[in-house]
Amino acid sequence: MSQIGPIFRALMRNKVGALLIALQVAVTMTIIVNAIHLINARGDLMGRSSGLDEANQLYVTSVGYANDFDAPYVIDTDLDGIRQLPSVDDAVQINAIPMSNGGWSMGLQTKAGEGENSVPTALYMTDEHGLNTLDVELIAGENFKATEISYRDRNTRDWPQSVILTEALAKSLFPDLSPTEIVGQTVYIQSNEPLTIIGIMDHLQAPWTGWTTVNHSMLVPNKFDSPYSRYLVRAKPGQREQAIEQVEQFMKQREVGRMVRETETMTQVRMDSYRGDSALQAILWTIIVVLCIITALGIVGLVSFSINRRRRQIGTRRALGAQKADIMSYFLTENVMITSVGVILGIAGSVALNMWLVSSFNLPRLSYIYLPIAMIAMWTIGLIAVWGPALRATQISPAIATRNV
Amino acid sequence: MWLYYTRLAWLSLKRHPLLSLLMSGAIALGIGAAMTTITINYLMSADPIPEKSDRLFYVQLDNWSPNEPYDEPNEPPDQLTYTDATALKAQAPAQLQTALAQSGGVIEPQGLGKEPFLARLRLTHNDFFTMFNSPFLYGQGWSDSADETGDRSIVLSKNANEAIFAGENSVGRTVRLEGKEFRVVGVLDEWVLKPRFYDVTTGAFNEMEDAYVPFKVKETMELPNSGNTNCWKMPEGEGFKSFLTSECVNFQFWVQLNSAQEQQEYMSFLNAYVEEQKKLGRFQRPLNNRLTDVMGWMEHENVVDDDAEVMMYLSLMFLAVCLLNTIGLLLTKFSFKTGEIALRRAVGATRMQLYQQQLVETVFIGVAGGIGGLILAALGLLGIEYLYGDQVKDLASLNLPLLGIGILLAIISSALAGAYPTWRTCRIPPASQLKSE
Amino acid sequence: MLVMNNITKVFRTETVETHALKQFSLTVNEGDFVAVTGPSGSGKTTFLNIAGLLESFDDGEYTLDGRSVKNLNDKQLSQLRNEKIGFIFQSFNLIPDLNLFDNVDVPLRYRKLSKAERKERIEHSLDVVGLANRMRHLPSQLSGGQQQRVAIARALAGNPLFLLADEPTGNLDSKMADSVMSLLEEINQSGTTIVMVTHDLSQAERAHRHIQVLDGQVTEQKRVAPELTTVNA
Repeated sequence: MSQIGPIFRALMRNKVGALLIALQVAVTMTIIVNAIHLINARGDLMGRSSGLDEANQLYVTSVGYANDFDAPYVIDTDLDGIRQLPSVDDAVQINAIPMSNGGWSMGLQTKAGEGENSVPTALYMTDEHGLNTLDVELIAGENFKATEISYRDRNTRDWPQSVILTEALAKSLFPDLSPTEIVGQTVYIQSNEPLTIIGIMDHLQAPWTGWTTVNHSMLVPNKFDSPYSRYLVRAKPGQREQAIEQVEQFMKQREVGRMVRETETMTQVRMDSYRGDSALQAILWTIIVVLCIITALGIVGLVSFSINRRRRQIGTRRALGAQKADIMSYFLTENVMITSVGVILGIAGSVALNMWLVSSFNLPRLSYIYLPIAMIAMWTIGLIAVWGPALRATQISPAIATRNV
Repeated sequence: MWLYYTRLAWLSLKRHPLLSLLMSGAIALGIGAAMTTITINYLMSADPIPEKSDRLFYVQLDNWSPNEPYDEPNEPPDQLTYTDATALKAQAPAQLQTALAQSGGVIEPQGLGKEPFLARLRLTHNDFFTMFNSPFLYGQGWSDSADETGDRSIVLSKNANEAIFAGENSVGRTVRLEGKEFRVVGVLDEWVLKPRFYDVTTGAFNEMEDAYVPFKVKETMELPNSGNTNCWKMPEGEGFKSFLTSECVNFQFWVQLNSAQEQQEYMSFLNAYVEEQKKLGRFQRPLNNRLTDVMGWMEHENVVDDDAEVMMYLSLMFLAVCLLNTIGLLLTKFSFKTGEIALRRAVGATRMQLYQQQLVETVFIGVAGGIGGLILAALGLLGIEYLYGDQVKDLASLNLPLLGIGILLAIISSALAGAYPTWRTCRIPPASQLKSE
Repeated sequence: MLVMNNITKVFRTETVETHALKQFSLTVNEGDFVAVTGPSGSGKTTFLNIAGLLESFDDGEYTLDGRSVKNLNDKQLSQLRNEKIGFIFQSFNLIPDLNLFDNVDVPLRYRKLSKAERKERIEHSLDVVGLANRMRHLPSQLSGGQQQRVAIARALAGNPLFLLADEPTGNLDSKMADSVMSLLEEINQSGTTIVMVTHDLSQAERAHRHIQVLDGQVTEQKRVAPELTTVNA
C-alpha cells in the first residue's frame, strides 16, 4: 500500500486516460443501477399474484350472430355441457377476464348519496360457480346461492342484492372492521343503490394490471344476456390441454348460430398482459451485459497500451528488484484507484438519473441497496479486465532495461 | 493527399486489427442501441397525417360531475356523449366534421367454406374519409342522406374485401353484418395509420378497422359499445335509448378548421352550444371546452410509450459509454504514433496536414462503426419485434429519414470520439520523440 | 548559408533556469561538413533542434539561406524544414508501417510534386544508399545500418540545402558506423552540406570542421586541412 502515493502521482501525469476510464465506469454504473432497479420493479409487478389458478384456466369467447340467437338458452346449455366435460373442473360465464386489461369498474360508497366518497372496484359477473372456477377462497361469509343468479343485459340499470368483495376492497371500504364484521354490511353502488356484502374472498386482481387499486374486485351474481359471451374454464389439475380440445370441440359441434373465437389460456393472458414488462427486462439485461463487456474491453485496451508504453519502465523496476507480485499489485492498485473515482461519480450519476426518471416518468424511487452492489460489481469488472494485461506486464524481462531502442 | 491519408489510415488500422475492431465495434454497438430506440420513438411520435395535422382538431367538452373533474387538474373527459356528438354534427358549422365510435359485429360472408368473423367496426360520418384522406380502391364514402337516416351503407377495408369478396370490386353488393344486409359503397386501399390518431382511447397503435358504417347505425341497430365507456352517473330510464341520452362518454369528435379564424369561430360555437345545454341542466362545470390539433392530442394522450422513452435515454447513455471507450482507445493508439508524427513534423508536415491524416483514420473507424451500427439497429428492431409482438407492428422498421439520422449520428459520434485524441496528437512538438531514450 | 548569431536559449522550470545556449554563434558555408561535439548537457541537442527549426530560441539571430527564421509561423517553418533540411536521427525514426519506398516518400508527400517525379527521386536516393532493390521491404526486415541508409535516402530525397545528422552512427556497431560515415562523406563530396552532431571524436575528425560546444557556447573551432579529406576520398 506504500505504493499508493507514487501510483497516484504517476496517474496524474496521464490524467486524461485515467479520467476516461473513470467516466466510463461512472456512466456504466449509472445505467446498470437504474436498469437493474427498473428490472426489479417490473419483476415485482409481474410477480404479483392474480389470485387465480392460472396454470389450469382458459377462456373461450362465443359470439352469436343468427337472428334467432337465444343468448340465455345458449349460455345455460353451454355451461352445463362444459361443466360435464371429463377434463373440466368448473366453468362460468364471466364479463371480464382478469389481467386482460378489459373490464368494468364501478364506485362503491359506504354512505348513500351523490358526492359521497367512493371507492373504485372492478366488477366480475359470475354465478355460484365463480369462486371455484376462479380459484378464490372465502375468508368470511358465504357464496351466492344458485337461486340468487339473475340475467342482466346492457340496458339493465339495477343491481342484485348481494355481492362478494375481495379483502382488500372490504378493508378500503371499512378500514376498522374485521372481515367477519364486514359481512352483512351495506354499500351503495350508483350513489344510492344498496348492496349487501355476503362474503369476503381472499384475493382477486382487477382486469387492469396497471390500475392503482388492482386488488379491488367484486363478484356480482349475474349472468349477461348478450350474444357476446366469455366462458372462464378451470380444468382439472394438469389437464388443461385436454380441456382446451374438449371445450372447443363441444362448442363448435353445437349449431346455435354463433362463432367460437380462439381459446386462450390464462398463461397466455398473463404473458400478453406483461409483455411490455418482460420485453423491457430482456432489453435492459442485454444492455447491462453488453455494457459490462464494452467497459471491460475498454479497460483491457487502455491498460494494455499503458503497459506497452511503460515496458521499459517495468523492465527497469524488475531489474532494480521488483518482484512479479509488485508489478501485479501496481497495476491492480492503479485500476482500483481509477475505478473508485468512477464509482463515486457513478453513485452521484445513479441517484441523479433516478431522480430525473422519477420526476419525468413516474418511475419508482431507487432503493439504495443497489449502490453498494453496483460498486462491488464495477470494482470486480475493473479487476477482471486489468488482470490479463497486468499478468502480461509481469512477464516483461528485466533485460529490456539494458537494451538500446 | 487524401488518398495518401486513406492509405496511411488503412495501414495503421491493419496494424492493430483487434484494437480497430474494438473501437468501431464499440461505436457500432452504441449506435445500434441508440438507433433501435430512436426508431421506435421516432415512429411512435411520427405525424400520422403531416399534410393536415395542424388543421384537424379533437373536440372535448366538459360534461363531467359537478363534484369532481374527470381528471386532475380540471381535465375534461377525453370523449363525448352520444347526445353531444350527434348535436355537434347536426349543427355542423364547419365544412368538415365527424363523430366516431368503435363497435364490433359478426360479418357472415356468403359462399362455401367462408366462416363468419368478428369485424372491428368504425361508426362515423362520411366526412371521415375526406378529413383523414382515406385511400379508396373502389367507390367512395356514403351519401349525406345515409348519415342522416342511418342507411345501411358500408365501406370495407382492403382486407375485409379480400375475405368477403376475394378482392373483387364489391361496390353495390351486399354484406351481412349483425344479421342485417349492408350495401357496399366503397372499398379502401391498404390504409395504416401509426398512430391511429383519430381514436387512441384504447391504444394508439391498434389495428385499423375492418369496416366503416354510418354513425347513426349505432342507434338504429343498437350496436354494442367498444372502447372505453365512462360515466359519472348512471343512465336514467330503461332501454338502449337511455344510454344514448346519458352522460356516459364513448364517442370521439374531429373537426377540420383551416384557419385561426375558423378555429375561433368554432370555439365560440362550442361555447354557445354548452351555454345552451347548461340551460337544460347539463354541463354543470365551468366552461372547459378544448380544441386540440393532431400532434397536440397525441402529446396529451401520451402516445409515445414511457418505456420507449426511458429506453431511448438509457441507450443514448450507452452510446456515451461506447464513445468514451473509443476516445480512450484512440488516445492511446495515437500516443503510440507520436514518433511518426514528430518525424513527419520534422520533415515538414504542418499541423493541419497531420490533423487531416488522423482525421481520416478516425473517419474510417466512424464509418465502419456507423455501418455496423445500422446493421445492429436492424437486428435490434427484429429483436424488439420478437419481444413485443403485435404491439410494435410497423413501428420497428428503418426508413430513409431514419437511415439519415443513423448516418448523422455515426458522423457526430466519431467526430466526438476523434476530435480530442486527434487534436492532442497533433500538438506534439516536432523536436520531442525523435531522440531515442 | 546557415548563420547563427548570439543565439540564446533558456529552459525554465518552476525553480531553475538553465541556459542551454548562451550567445551561440556559428556560420556554416555551402559544401561544409561540420561536426559538432560536446559532452552531455553541453547544449548540442538544443543547437541541433534550433538549427533544424524544431525548437524556437529566445534571443539572437538565425538566418537560413538568407532568410531570418525568427518570426516565421508554424506553416512557414514546416515548409522550410521540408525544403531546406534533411534530417538523420540516431534512432533512424522510420515509420514501421511503411515500406522503404513509402518511408522515403514521407517528406516528398508534403510538397507539390507529381507522382512520377516523386517516384524518380525516391528510386534515385535509394539507389545512392544502395538499397534500390529492397524498396518494398519493411524497416523491420533490415539491419540497423541499412535502416540508417534508408533514413539518409529519405533526407536526400527532398534535395535539401543541408543534412542535419544527430548521432547518425550512435545506434550502430563500428563496422556499420564506418560504412554510414563513408556514405555521408560521399554525399558531402557530391556537394551536399552536412551538419553532424556526435560524441564520437574519431568521427568528428572525418569532417572538414570540428566545433566543440561546452556550456552552451562554441569553445573551439578547428578547420581540418582540406587535403586530408581529399586523401580520404
